[in-house]
Amino acid sequence: METLTIKENISDVLKSILGHNNFEMHDELTAKDVDGWDSLSHMMIITKIEEAFNIKFKLRDLNKLKNMGSLVSVIQSKI
Amino acid sequence: MSLLTDLQNSIQNNFDNNAFCINNTFYSYKEFAQIISNIRSLIKNSVSDNEINVGLITNDDIETYASIIALWFEGKAYVPLNPEFPIERNSMVIEQADIVSILDSSSKKQFSDYNSLLTKNLDNTELGITPTKISNETLAYIFFTSGTTGTPKGVPITFGNLSGFIEAQWALDYTITEHDRCLQMFELTFDLSVVSYLAPLLKGASIFTIPKDEIKYSYIFELMEDHELTYSLMVPSILHYLRPYFDEINCPSMKYSLFCGEALPLDVTEEWSKCIPNATIANVYGPTECTIYCMDYTYKREEENKAHNGVLTIGKDMKNTSTIIVDDNNNEVETGKEGELCLSGVQLTPGYWKNEQKNKEVFFNKIHNGKETRFYRTGDLCRADEDGDVLYLGRVDFQAKIQGFRVELSEIEFHAKAALNKVNAVAIAFTNNIHNTEIGLVIESETLDTKPLIEDLNLKLPKYMIPTQIKFIGNFPLNTNGKTDRNKLTELFI
Repeated sequence: METLTIKENISDVLKSILGHNNFEMHDELTAKDVDGWDSLSHMMIITKIEEAFNIKFKLRDLNKLKNMGSLVSVIQSKI
Repeated sequence: MSLLTDLQNSIQNNFDNNAFCINNTFYSYKEFAQIISNIRSLIKNSVSDNEINVGLITNDDIETYASIIALWFEGKAYVPLNPEFPIERNSMVIEQADIVSILDSSSKKQFSDYNSLLTKNLDNTELGITPTKISNETLAYIFFTSGTTGTPKGVPITFGNLSGFIEAQWALDYTITEHDRCLQMFELTFDLSVVSYLAPLLKGASIFTIPKDEIKYSYIFELMEDHELTYSLMVPSILHYLRPYFDEINCPSMKYSLFCGEALPLDVTEEWSKCIPNATIANVYGPTECTIYCMDYTYKREEENKAHNGVLTIGKDMKNTSTIIVDDNNNEVETGKEGELCLSGVQLTPGYWKNEQKNKEVFFNKIHNGKETRFYRTGDLCRADEDGDVLYLGRVDFQAKIQGFRVELSEIEFHAKAALNKVNAVAIAFTNNIHNTEIGLVIESETLDTKPLIEDLNLKLPKYMIPTQIKFIGNFPLNTNGKTDRNKLTELFI
């Protein structure tokens, strides 16, 4: 899957859970930069991303998801 | 005071051991002693003798932990101030606790209006870790928790309270030695952090903390696996987060796994026990007012465990605490009958900081075992069985636990109503689909834009108190007593 398509799908997930799209999908984007993306919503976002791409993250993957760039590359390695 | 002398001896006798692992950097007890000494000298030079309570910015670094010990060795108490909390809330705490000086390990001062003392990169002084003389009444810390009227209330804990707790902790037999590697997962504004650093420090063990920008549950797992942690105290909500990944977790090194701060479900505990096959699992219980925790139950791997509605029993009182269960008139109920759990003993706080009204409400004296005894009402509805094990049934008031933090729902309502210009609002604690507690807000009005409301709440309340879901309803449903039917409102979120 193209990086761009992956990012679009992630963006849709974020929008559906956070209820807004006040963020830019650049590689350095972190949870801190996005309103409402906290430890509580993080779990829901992760689950929704797993569903959207039909993948399952390992517990160890979760610590690597430091920013959008690494999230995209972890997803890429799994599909 | 032997607690601080014990601490001094433990630091001195374990110079070559690692005291802390913070963000992948190890600090030996010797390095820790040096930083404590440097900060003590700063305190001696820049904090006046009559200052009792000193503010502490709660960063996750070695200087912050050293500051706590330095203040104690100087006979002073610390009041934790989370730099991520709204300024308005921190200012309220600073004012209430008469704080003049604040120890701050940040690179730039968090509070410029006070005597902020930066603790990073101080010059090395001569080692000095002999504690000054203190008494049982000397304050060790004041933690502020959510209060019903919009003002946080302070719980002061003395060295007498803390010594009583530590003595009871050792009596539990969940032994820590200088070879242990222990988890410290708590914000320093939460009193479970105190046992998480103090117990290991008293035994020369190592403490592993969690950087603030990491996701707690997955980071805990990596620490458990990469550093073979042997001792952990966690809030049960961590287990709910980890549960989907239990099949990936196998940590035979774990010797003791304690839980506190929220109800511990029996089924999750059973599943968790397979992830840590060699560990003793325990459920401990207690409010900040009775110093960290004061009741304990050891989970049984092979036998049946006591539970109510799937929640594991909180067991029996620890060595220095005595409990009773009472009715509305402070009379003890019969065994097996429900009532409010009340605590007494040396761990009990002298009373809320400058809040006589609240003290009158929750502390009372009663003849117990032939002696006039001071009790604290926990607000927890409980029942004891014939063996004396206590089952937790729920709250008698509108308090909720969010990731272990105590939250007065009325404090959220107070600020929400103020922001909504008196429109009625009810805060609801509900259980979400991964079994963690979330806060919802129901507003008695047509749908309106909630952005200004949330922005306003963010200025007044810590993150964990901000409602995650908001619903609107034209009129609040009433129950048979004519009161707002909170159960009906809760259904809106489930």
